[in-house]
Amino acid sequence: MSTETKTPKLTVTVTKPTPYTFDLGLLLANDPNPLSLPSTTGPNLESALYTVARDGTQSLINQLLTTLPISSTPAGVLLSLPSSVTPLPREKPVPQPKPETKWSAFAKRRGIKPKTREQRRNLQLNAETGEHERKWGYKGANKSGQDEAIIEIKHNSRKELERKEGTSIRGDKRREIRERVKRNERRMRRNERNAGEGRK
Amino acid sequence: MLRTVKPKTARSKRALEKRAPKAVENPKKALFLRGTSCSQVTQDALGDLYALRQVHAKRFQKKNAIHPFEDASSLAFFSEKNDCSLLLFGSSNKKRPHTITFARTFDYKILDMLELCLDGESFRSISQFKTNKVPVGTRPLMVFAGTAFESPVPNGFTMAKSMLIDFFRGETSDKIDVEGLRFVVVVTADEPTSAENSDDPSSKAVLRLRIYTIHTKRSGQKLPRVELEEHGPRIDFRIGRIQEPDEAMLKEAMRKAKTNEERTKKNISTDIMGDKLGRIHMGKLDLSQLQTRKMKGLKRERDVLSGDEADTVVDEAPKRKKADI
Repeated sequence: MSTETKTPKLTVTVTKPTPYTFDLGLLLANDPNPLSLPSTTGPNLESALYTVARDGTQSLINQLLTTLPISSTPAGVLLSLPSSVTPLPREKPVPQPKPETKWSAFAKRRGIKPKTREQRRNLQLNAETGEHERKWGYKGANKSGQDEAIIEIKHNSRKELERKEGTSIRGDKRREIRERVKRNERRMRRNERNAGEGRK
Repeated sequence: MLRTVKPKTARSKRALEKRAPKAVENPKKALFLRGTSCSQVTQDALGDLYALRQVHAKRFQKKNAIHPFEDASSLAFFSEKNDCSLLLFGSSNKKRPHTITFARTFDYKILDMLELCLDGESFRSISQFKTNKVPVGTRPLMVFAGTAFESPVPNGFTMAKSMLIDFFRGETSDKIDVEGLRFVVVVTADEPTSAENSDDPSSKAVLRLRIYTIHTKRSGQKLPRVELEEHGPRIDFRIGRIQEPDEAMLKEAMRKAKTNEERTKKNISTDIMGDKLGRIHMGKLDLSQLQTRKMKGLKRERDVLSGDEADTVVDEAPKRKKADI
């Protein structure tokens, strides 16, 4: 079966009628040759198994050391393994991509990127005064002009004509913000609902 | 089934993320458990396999009244509870002495099961071999020898091979230290005999699992000479009952996640100089708009829309041509 002979120069080659097949990603060798093992258990069987094992290991190590790229690093001599080819079942299903929301579809179309850390910061430079101010919250820039002592009312503007009963220009900005928040929350819920339906 | 919970804390969220389905999966965890009756041989074998599988393994000490081939629902439950997709169940009774049932799960449901009956007499545990033991977490080399494993139709041997590869594969990595090639798992299958189909288990072909440590010697050539020393355990199996995977489930389990790995593009090649060559399709050239030499005599009347452009005919360029990209 094996061609090894105890010559002073140790043989490192293994020749078999049918060549081995390898899956180096798994450090695996397949020996498709028919075996002729003794039927009874005992030292004979063990030595026969040893020969099969040694030949297989030798050819696998030969294959690993000759075909794979080797790199020496301070950590040691590393072999780069290819990805495995033996099909093995997964343990969990392939993850589904998250369903696209209306917003993410729109953002993709327009090329809108998520805000950077700087953009998300609650601080901006007011060019007029040359000072930093908050964008929102206490003394936020989005509330500027809301608490002025005198606010001019344009009587013919659409806003004034469609004004609801019992409201005035005071607090208009606040109302607008609340409305935008509510609308966004409605959309969020709708997206969640749609995503849930799509998955089923 | 376990109830699905929405994480309330960041910690539980991380824990759930860890066990969520991933494109590149975590190494499979193995769960070792025993039935109500489990012989010492089976327990030793389970203990040795547990030692080899360390880090990605969990072991139960208590007895579990489970009969996997009758009702595997509790195995599926344990799989989900412990996030283990490989289960080794040891049991022993009069009809089936010293058996280890390998079960794999997919999505916490039993995918396939294989019963392996140990040979109690030829079993040797790790502690019976006086060799240096390999460190925990070392990846083994694997050798499968025998024609039985090459069967084109799925049978007990191919399933056993798949199970054992899954068991010994451990954590896969794309780089390995040459020093880390420390031990080898060798599984040999006897030649299938004609008595294969009979019900008598003792007539069935045997799978022999041997584990050796590798010693390399200088051979005077570039490659080293390999010598082996038995490390243990030494286990002889006979294949018992089998539960084949459900076809639809197996298909789902064999699916590969899309990776960012570049696919080989068509019509692009590199020549010996390292230049990238591409073959492109040019489309049909529109020669009617071709600018030719302007001469007064060739001028067309403004209002005449005749297709009299015979003088602009040029040899049509070849449709496909090689072009440098």
